[in-house]
Amino acid sequence: MRLSIVNSLDSKILIFQGVIYFNFESILSIIIRQQFPPERSPTVKVTVSQQQLAHGLSLVSRAVAPRSTLPVLANILVATDEGRVRLSATNLELGISCWIGGQIAEEGAITVPARTLSDLVNTLPNDPVLLELNPKNQVLNVRCGTSITDIKGIDAQEYPPIPVPDLADGLELNVSDFKEMIQQVVFAVSTDEARPVLQGVQMSVNGTFITMAATDGYRVSVRKAELEHPAASPFSIIIPARALSELARIASDGDQKIVMVTPPGRGQVLFHLRDAELVSSLIEGNFPPYDKIIPTSFKTKTILSTAEFLKSCRQAEIIARDGNNIVRLDIQPAVEGAPGVVEISAQSEETGFSEIKLAANVEGPGLLIAFNVRFLREVLDVMKSPNIVLQTNANNTPGLLQQTGDDSFIHVIMPMHLG
Amino acid sequence: MPIHILSDAVASQIAAGEVVERPASVVKELLENSLDAGASKITILIQQAGKQLIEVSDNGTGIPAGEVSLAVTRHATSKLASAADLFAIRTLGFRGEALASIASVSRSTLTTRTQTEETGSRLVVDGGDGGRLEHLAYPIGTTVRVENLFSNVPARLKFLKTDATERQQVHSLVTRYALAYARVQFTLMDDGKTVLQTSGRGDRREVLASLYGVDTARQMLEVVFDDGEFTIEGFTSPLALTRSNRREMTFFINGRWVQDTALNAALVQAYSGLLMVGRFPISVLFIQLPPEEVDVNVHPAKAEVRFCNSDRVFSAVQRAVRRAVMAYSPIPAIPPQKLWGTAAAQTGVTSSQAAGLDWQFAHEGGISGEGQSPISQAAQQAASIPDSLPAGSLPLLRLIGQIGATYLVAEGPDGLYLIDQHAAHERVLFEKLMEQRSTEVIMQPLLQPVTVQLASHQAASLADSLDALNSLGFLVEEFGGNAFRVRALPAVFSSSDPETLLRAVIEDIEEDESPMQTEIEARIASRVCKRAAIKGGTVMAQEEQLALLRDLEKCQSPRTCPHGRPTMIHLSVDLLERQFGRRGSR
Ligand SMILES: Nc1ncnc2c1ncn2[C@@H]1O[C@H](COP(=O)(O)OP(=O)(O)OP(=O)(O)O)[C@@H](O)[C@H]1O
Ligand SMILES: [Mg+2]
Repeated sequence: MRLSIVNSLDSKILIFQGVIYFNFESILSIIIRQQFPPERSPTVKVTVSQQQLAHGLSLVSRAVAPRSTLPVLANILVATDEGRVRLSATNLELGISCWIGGQIAEEGAITVPARTLSDLVNTLPNDPVLLELNPKNQVLNVRCGTSITDIKGIDAQEYPPIPVPDLADGLELNVSDFKEMIQQVVFAVSTDEARPVLQGVQMSVNGTFITMAATDGYRVSVRKAELEHPAASPFSIIIPARALSELARIASDGDQKIVMVTPPGRGQVLFHLRDAELVSSLIEGNFPPYDKIIPTSFKTKTILSTAEFLKSCRQAEIIARDGNNIVRLDIQPAVEGAPGVVEISAQSEETGFSEIKLAANVEGPGLLIAFNVRFLREVLDVMKSPNIVLQTNANNTPGLLQQTGDDSFIHVIMPMHLG
Repeated sequence: MPIHILSDAVASQIAAGEVVERPASVVKELLENSLDAGASKITILIQQAGKQLIEVSDNGTGIPAGEVSLAVTRHATSKLASAADLFAIRTLGFRGEALASIASVSRSTLTTRTQTEETGSRLVVDGGDGGRLEHLAYPIGTTVRVENLFSNVPARLKFLKTDATERQQVHSLVTRYALAYARVQFTLMDDGKTVLQTSGRGDRREVLASLYGVDTARQMLEVVFDDGEFTIEGFTSPLALTRSNRREMTFFINGRWVQDTALNAALVQAYSGLLMVGRFPISVLFIQLPPEEVDVNVHPAKAEVRFCNSDRVFSAVQRAVRRAVMAYSPIPAIPPQKLWGTAAAQTGVTSSQAAGLDWQFAHEGGISGEGQSPISQAAQQAASIPDSLPAGSLPLLRLIGQIGATYLVAEGPDGLYLIDQHAAHERVLFEKLMEQRSTEVIMQPLLQPVTVQLASHQAASLADSLDALNSLGFLVEEFGGNAFRVRALPAVFSSSDPETLLRAVIEDIEEDESPMQTEIEARIASRVCKRAAIKGGTVMAQEEQLALLRDLEKCQSPRTCPHGRPTMIHLSVDLLERQFGRRGSR
């Protein structure tokens, strides 16, 4: 099935098997019904714990499309699945599923409005919750303690099909390592929708080497790591930053392993965890070749305490954020016994002026260089080592930040220019 | 039925259907002929919405006796000699089709005399059949009398709308031509009543008043634009004057009324960000461009044209209109005394006293001119336009209080004001921030330059303004062809896409605005929103209400919020009196 949705001048058009449809909301549901002809829907009858249900709903709710023209996308799929209860949501770009344990009396599936179900479950006492579907009118009956609620649903047949991955040739990732990788690059993506490629994170895998990179045109964050098991063949994909952030949120360290699959020809990536799954469409396009712009040699090398530097940036940002976000670093090498110093200052016509002096280990000539303070703060936030290294050449060439004694994570920022 | 060649009469009727489909199209063709003949005075009569009679008389060159019967023959024209002329048409007519078409679907009488002839000539054509040419005494000029229009084509007659609609069409057509040709004296009589009479003195605003009414005509802003090759003149509505449809956008291209959705779009674009969603301007624009720049031979009724360089035309329209709108809003402050009479001015009373001025004043000293025709009234007002434009600034207001925890109520010399507290506070904060904004130029260079490919006219305007742009914090260089490389952006915009920002700035340049002004305003406007502009539903202390009112009075454009929505509704004394039936409408 090949569907493409085209934004025309003022109406959305759907192209399906070469035919153009204008009113695509209704068409889409027809197509879905044709592909999956309704059988007699079996009923659902399960008992789950309120806490687990609330937690599961909070995970998958992030993929709900509340304002979609396809009403079923505002719903969450509740289905029995091999002895567990599956909760799923998708906005067709990003889909999240999670499984919770429960006592299954009758097998079946139903979709119900995400807001209604989540809001309700959040107010229920910490008691077993009985979910029971009346298949005649597609109403889900929710009972907990003394409360009884009927929620009107939409037939699960209308829900977009959920891909069943073949995990056999998936790539195995260690959860805590992978979460750290995501965290260290994802903030550097662009927020501007004009260049979709920059809203994604490039992931390249070659043998046992994995590299993730993100850039918004002013800075680039690159994180490398090694895999336990090599990939079958090298590949490079661009994953939407949003999907990775969600993944980092749902992957709990207890999951230990993530299995990643990119089913060929589908333009999708799927991450499988023990109790959850996330599917995202990939971004097509060419990622900017960032290798060329990472300088290889530097004149000045400055070592600072990560925590101190971060705190100074936070302070400077209070002054700078209403102006141009600019912070000046005056890097001064040690002279005759006096240790090296970095003077961090910010000034804004609206707010005022601030200056902080930090002790530093400076090798090489002194330099006055200016950066967007938000860029500095964001990268320092994800630096794990107690000290960081800032390497620079001149006030108009990129600066490089690294954790001390560690080459796996590098971050390059273009300085600002005082006109 | 076997295949056969249509009789001439049927064939002409079919062709006529393309040129004349309703009374207004007959009037249009006849008017255009009179204008082509250099008339300075044109009189139009219609009866029964033109179905019974349409008569157009002019004092133009006339038609020599020997050519009269040719004039009503298809493809006979005095206006084109060769095919090459088609590409540089300077007259309104060029096909030699109009008279023949009209004559084939009516009973037409052509009476005419040229300056060199002693006697005039008359020819009657009935449903396409020409009679004999008569000679008679007649003044110089031409009269075409069209009777029983479409009586021999009942199908077409059936397609006509109600009489009221058809008459309305004729009126609006004649008025628009009168507007375009303000130096020609037009008279339109409908069933014996004069519905339009223009002086021919060249004052367009006077004609505008008969099209839109005195009030609207007075408020319309003047558009003037001349880049050496293109000129645009006309009127466009200020922000406070809008319609809910695009029907009131009139364009004349080289003296020809055309309907073009792309021109409409360019016009609407000129107001982007200034009008509320779903509101459209009123405009009448006269565009002159070299005849070879426009192809008029694309539509059977000549209602559409094609431009050689449409981008340039659209951008000229946008620039011209934007400039007019910007020049008047915020409208330069007019001291309240000047508007509202003498008492306050003479005694220098305090604001609350001034606001308590007798409301009578607003209308008693207002528009005079009993016994004069509406048009001369308009002319009189037109003369005083610059003074009486609606003031951008507010008169001094006396606070009455807050209602619904959302609106402030205030009284001014000219009536009641309802003020939206959120929108008003947004405006106040917006102007404060615009003032405080940092003027320091800081550049954020890119890791890798971004190459942007432009259209050639954009490339030209960008190349001219590179220095100016680079002094604002850009670093843009020419890259050959029409490509440019962006190496750095002004730091404030570093979260925008470089290409999108550059294109936006080029638009500013093309619209003759100071580059980045719109972008800066938009950014500050969105900050104002996020910041604590007081929300609707918040109860305010009296001191706070008063402070907001005073701050608003100090604003340059107090009447709209930074997003273009109104901050206030004004209920004028006039309106109140009319609503309460204290006085008939003026
Ligand atoms: N009011 C008039 N005064 C002088 N000459 C006229 C007048 N009306 C028509 N004519 C003459 O009659 C000719 C035919 O007029 P007609 O309107 O049929 O064709 P046209 O104006 O040349 O082209 P079109 O079909 O595009 O209007 C004109 O070319 C012109 O010479
Ligand atoms: Mg003509």
